[in-house]
Amino acid sequence: MRKSWLQGYILKRLLYAVIIAWGIVTITFILIRIGPNSPADKYLANIAARGQDVAQVTAAIESRYGLDKPIIVQYGDYLMHLAQGDLGWSFSTSMPVIDLIGKHWIYSFQLIFLSSLLAAIIGILLGMYSAVKQYSKIDYIISTFSFAGISIPNFWLGVMLILLFSVKLGWFKVFYDTTLPLLSLENLKALVLPVFTLGTGMVAGYVRYTRSAMLDNLRKAFVTTARAKGLPERTVIGKHVFRNAMLPLVTIIMFDLGSIVFGGAYLTEIIFGIPGLGQISFNAVFANDYPVVIAITLIGTFLALLVNLITDIAYTYFDPRIRYE
Amino acid sequence: MRRIATVFVILLIITLVAGSCSGTATTTRSGKTGGAFIEGSYGGDGETLNLLLAADATSHSYIGHTIDSLATYDNQLSLVLRCLARDVDVSPDGLVYTVAIRDDLKWSDGSQVTAEDYVYTIKNLMQSDWLNYPYKGDWEENIEGKETGIIPDVVNKTTFTITRKTVDPEFNYTIYDLIPYPKNIALKYEGNVDAFTRAPEFNNLTYTGNLGPYKFVEWIRNDRFVVQRNPDYYLGKDNGAPYFEKYIVKLFGTSATMEAAMESGDITMCGIQPDKASKFKSNPKVNVYTIPSGGYNLIGYNQRPNGWGGLKKAAVRQALSMAISKEAITQRIYMGFAEPAYSFIPVTSPWYDADSVVKYGVGNLFNKQKAAQMLYEAGYGIKKADGGYQAAGKDGNPLKLTLLTSTGGGIAENIAFFVKQELADIGIQVDLKQVPWETMVRKYLMSKVPGKEQEPRWNNGPDAVSDEAWDLVLMGFSTDIKAPSGSEIFFISDGGLNFMGYTNLKVDELFKRVKSKEALDISARKELYAEISKLLSDEQPVDFLIFGRGNVAFQKNVKGVDPGISMGYNYYLWYFE
Amino acid sequence: MNNSRSAESRPVRIHGNRRLFLYYWNRTKQNKLAIAGLGFILFLILLALIGPFFTADPTHVDFAERNVPPLGFSTEESIYDIKTNAFTVNLIEGTWKHPLGTDGKGRDMLAMLISGARISLEVGLLATLIAICIGALIGVLSAYLGGWWDNVLMRFTDIMMTFPFFLLLVLIIFMFGPSLTLIVLVIGLTGWTGAARLIRSEALSLRTREFITAARALGASDARIVIRHLIPNVASLIIVMATLSIPGVILAESALSFIGLGDPSQTSWGIILNDGQKSLDTAWWVAVEPGIMLFFTVLAFNFLGDGLRDAFDPRSNLDAR
Repeated sequence: MRKSWLQGYILKRLLYAVIIAWGIVTITFILIRIGPNSPADKYLANIAARGQDVAQVTAAIESRYGLDKPIIVQYGDYLMHLAQGDLGWSFSTSMPVIDLIGKHWIYSFQLIFLSSLLAAIIGILLGMYSAVKQYSKIDYIISTFSFAGISIPNFWLGVMLILLFSVKLGWFKVFYDTTLPLLSLENLKALVLPVFTLGTGMVAGYVRYTRSAMLDNLRKAFVTTARAKGLPERTVIGKHVFRNAMLPLVTIIMFDLGSIVFGGAYLTEIIFGIPGLGQISFNAVFANDYPVVIAITLIGTFLALLVNLITDIAYTYFDPRIRYE
Repeated sequence: MRRIATVFVILLIITLVAGSCSGTATTTRSGKTGGAFIEGSYGGDGETLNLLLAADATSHSYIGHTIDSLATYDNQLSLVLRCLARDVDVSPDGLVYTVAIRDDLKWSDGSQVTAEDYVYTIKNLMQSDWLNYPYKGDWEENIEGKETGIIPDVVNKTTFTITRKTVDPEFNYTIYDLIPYPKNIALKYEGNVDAFTRAPEFNNLTYTGNLGPYKFVEWIRNDRFVVQRNPDYYLGKDNGAPYFEKYIVKLFGTSATMEAAMESGDITMCGIQPDKASKFKSNPKVNVYTIPSGGYNLIGYNQRPNGWGGLKKAAVRQALSMAISKEAITQRIYMGFAEPAYSFIPVTSPWYDADSVVKYGVGNLFNKQKAAQMLYEAGYGIKKADGGYQAAGKDGNPLKLTLLTSTGGGIAENIAFFVKQELADIGIQVDLKQVPWETMVRKYLMSKVPGKEQEPRWNNGPDAVSDEAWDLVLMGFSTDIKAPSGSEIFFISDGGLNFMGYTNLKVDELFKRVKSKEALDISARKELYAEISKLLSDEQPVDFLIFGRGNVAFQKNVKGVDPGISMGYNYYLWYFE
Repeated sequence: MNNSRSAESRPVRIHGNRRLFLYYWNRTKQNKLAIAGLGFILFLILLALIGPFFTADPTHVDFAERNVPPLGFSTEESIYDIKTNAFTVNLIEGTWKHPLGTDGKGRDMLAMLISGARISLEVGLLATLIAICIGALIGVLSAYLGGWWDNVLMRFTDIMMTFPFFLLLVLIIFMFGPSLTLIVLVIGLTGWTGAARLIRSEALSLRTREFITAARALGASDARIVIRHLIPNVASLIIVMATLSIPGVILAESALSFIGLGDPSQTSWGIILNDGQKSLDTAWWVAVEPGIMLFFTVLAFNFLGDGLRDAFDPRSNLDAR
């Protein structure tokens, strides 16, 4: 019984995801194509310096990438190719967009994955401790630090960390070294500063959320009942309070994981020179390489939607009472 | 975006890498083989390894590691032949170039590189209509107002000729840069731009055989470009060159991180910003070479109808140039690593003639009082109560000028702010407009005749104006030290980059003479250049500000470097101690 | 930025009721951090308003005084002589003239930071105002028109919500040129989704409440119900949401400036920081100082927003803070 409504629900949500993705592709496409820029822009001076007619070469370069057709035709072509799974050809990097993403997603993923994981563990532990010891000195310190954590601009934090630990103390390289094997200690070491930069805000978020969720549940009747039954405090906190507080936390963790492309990772990648999807899309914007921009926007969107869906489904297992229409 | 700011950096890369070997292999110095040489770079990645589609310098420098051009230059600017067996021979009338290539050049499939490949590349690729080679114009000449292709011909397996109808004494430099495509592979894609663009052989440089010191390994976009030692390199037969196992170009987001990586020894070589040079020069682990460049900064004066009217008068332009201290720019912005520019020909060029130029902005031609007085005399000033002068509009109101510069910060931005400060001293209010490079070009620099149906161009004739009005613009240009005549596009009336709208028939004529038979004679050409320099440095169509000096740092354990203006010419002979 | 995670709170009516305002003020006052935050924000506003009268012109450059360190610090500057190949070394010490030092163009850091405060506050307040107005409009429309309209508006809201916000910002600013007005507009025009959803849900729940039914029975028009009843009832939510979204907006502007897409005619903190990043090892203060200002400003708004939320939340227990 439960299965049947869930299947319908998933189908509905998938359809819905396609609609949203289509909306986003359309908006991005229109935005990019109504802009005054052209991928030939960067050659403007070079072209003239070599005695060429700018207008003629611009037209030639645009026709090379099919940008001379009416925008509606280009849009149709793009959607047709997209439907066949072809994300297009990136003209600023001279490779298929899909290969480009295939090569670079791992750099974003390892950063986000490590940051979210560490932030979740540390944040949840600190948040629980803070809630259990509410109003203690440590609670107060943790709360203040978590405020600082969500307020610190992470791009500035990154720059300061580089200044202190790389430039002044020389403990880390000033850049992320892609030659290191992904699964090695050296690579972990290289990721310390970026993960710290990205993770700080996340930890703070988790602390604040866990603390308030735990406090909410601590006040509830079932806790009083459990305590009255004489259950040890450890069991009360661990089994009853935490499990209930976990539910919304899952949402946040999943949300962070879903933001592989965007969120704070974008700036962190730029500061530390990590060639992940954030940096790729950033450069693509500057190069007017629209197939890459749209593709990465699309992937970011899809991941976010997918994660939402998975979270919703996960909810039904955590809490069988939940039903979606 | 950051183009202007990085003019010097890009230039440096070109000089370092474009020249990648020396010909007759008389050098028997033999280094140890091994190690990875890591060159630091910032300011953007290349776009493609498919040579004829690349319009940017970085892409060309990447490709240059794997395949040699016909010739290059050493630091004394004397010719170093590469794939050639003997000199490019020019007929006495300057019209026929005969090129003979070596007979030991091989593509990756083992077949010989022949004259046929070269001729095919020029005729069927560069000059074709389907490919739209961005620099097609290099291989065309203007005959009776029509762009016509220059004609290449195969003579025998290793010899071909290139025949022009008009004389261009500096055309041989275009020939020296020539790099061939393998005909048998290119034939597969001929006529189909899309297929040519995606051709795996060209995008992965799998065809380069023994033509370059290195072979392509991998290219991680926005991160690094890696090539490895080519044991078959045709110039390495006797000496085992090159000596580095790998050559890596590592990209950085900012010059600051690149310099920090240099300091910690994570990279082998990189360019250094002027304000960091002293720190590196006192670093015992690093060698810093200060080398001249052909890149210069200038202020362009808008002499078109939508610029301030005063700029059409040479006296006004001279007055403005007289108010801006080149010495101060050198000292305070370049930290000493620059020298004043007076014309487009750098001091280091063999065509430079020190006696012929008028030196505005230094010595007694830097004088703000005099500048204000000159403006007053030209009708753009008022006399102050204390007897001094101050710039003002025709009606006596304060004079306001717009100074354009592209966003992106760095040295160009500093100069723009400095110029604003200098001109304020003589009473001119400068409104600094920082706009992205693309906007600057489209809205301000490219022009068209009002009311006429035409595409905007850099120069659409004297009546054309840009969408937005401007008065001054800060830019970076660069001059080819060996062949400065290329700069004519800025200064002749119908020059393709003459966005200032400068017109001087005498200048037009002199440049025309440089590109004629008369200039085949070196001393005659030198005289012509001296005359052009004199005219331009006096007329000030633009205020030539300074020529920068680049600083390049190497880790001390790199040996074999011959520091100089074209230091990359023997880079395949560098080795680790 | 963090408002999406904020715990939901119940709407409280505060419009036009002095006693109620005093009640919430007293509740807010108990939160020392919120008061500290409010104090800092007021100080910053004051600084932005009257500071410029006491400091140097933030746009005045003087290359003779470039990279002067803050008071109490000193640095060295070497100038190369192309003819002798030698360096002249000058010792530069901080002076009272530039207590916080100068940047690479010799502009006074203190004056620039104060001018940056004005920009950050302007951007934060204006963009938030735009976002809240649009959000309120769409939320209310959606709730009251219902049916097909509700569906369309909410799907559009979903699309905007899923859009990778920062990339959109980068894209638009890159294409249409970096100007502060455009930055404010774009942030405002894209940042309304949270407000729209919240206000819609509140409006929906209010619609069924007794006093609205009563008002309608008394013949009040829809517009009157919205203005007199709905908006006052969600005002507390809006205030909390606005306070908590201002720091996000300020950070977005700084981040944009930091990556080189700031308005170059303004000296915002992000732009100074972008400059400073390039000279980290020669002039650290240029990167450090605007970051500290940014941090404290964002912190202040977060403290205040958090305090307000607690104060408006009848369930929260304030006694112990």
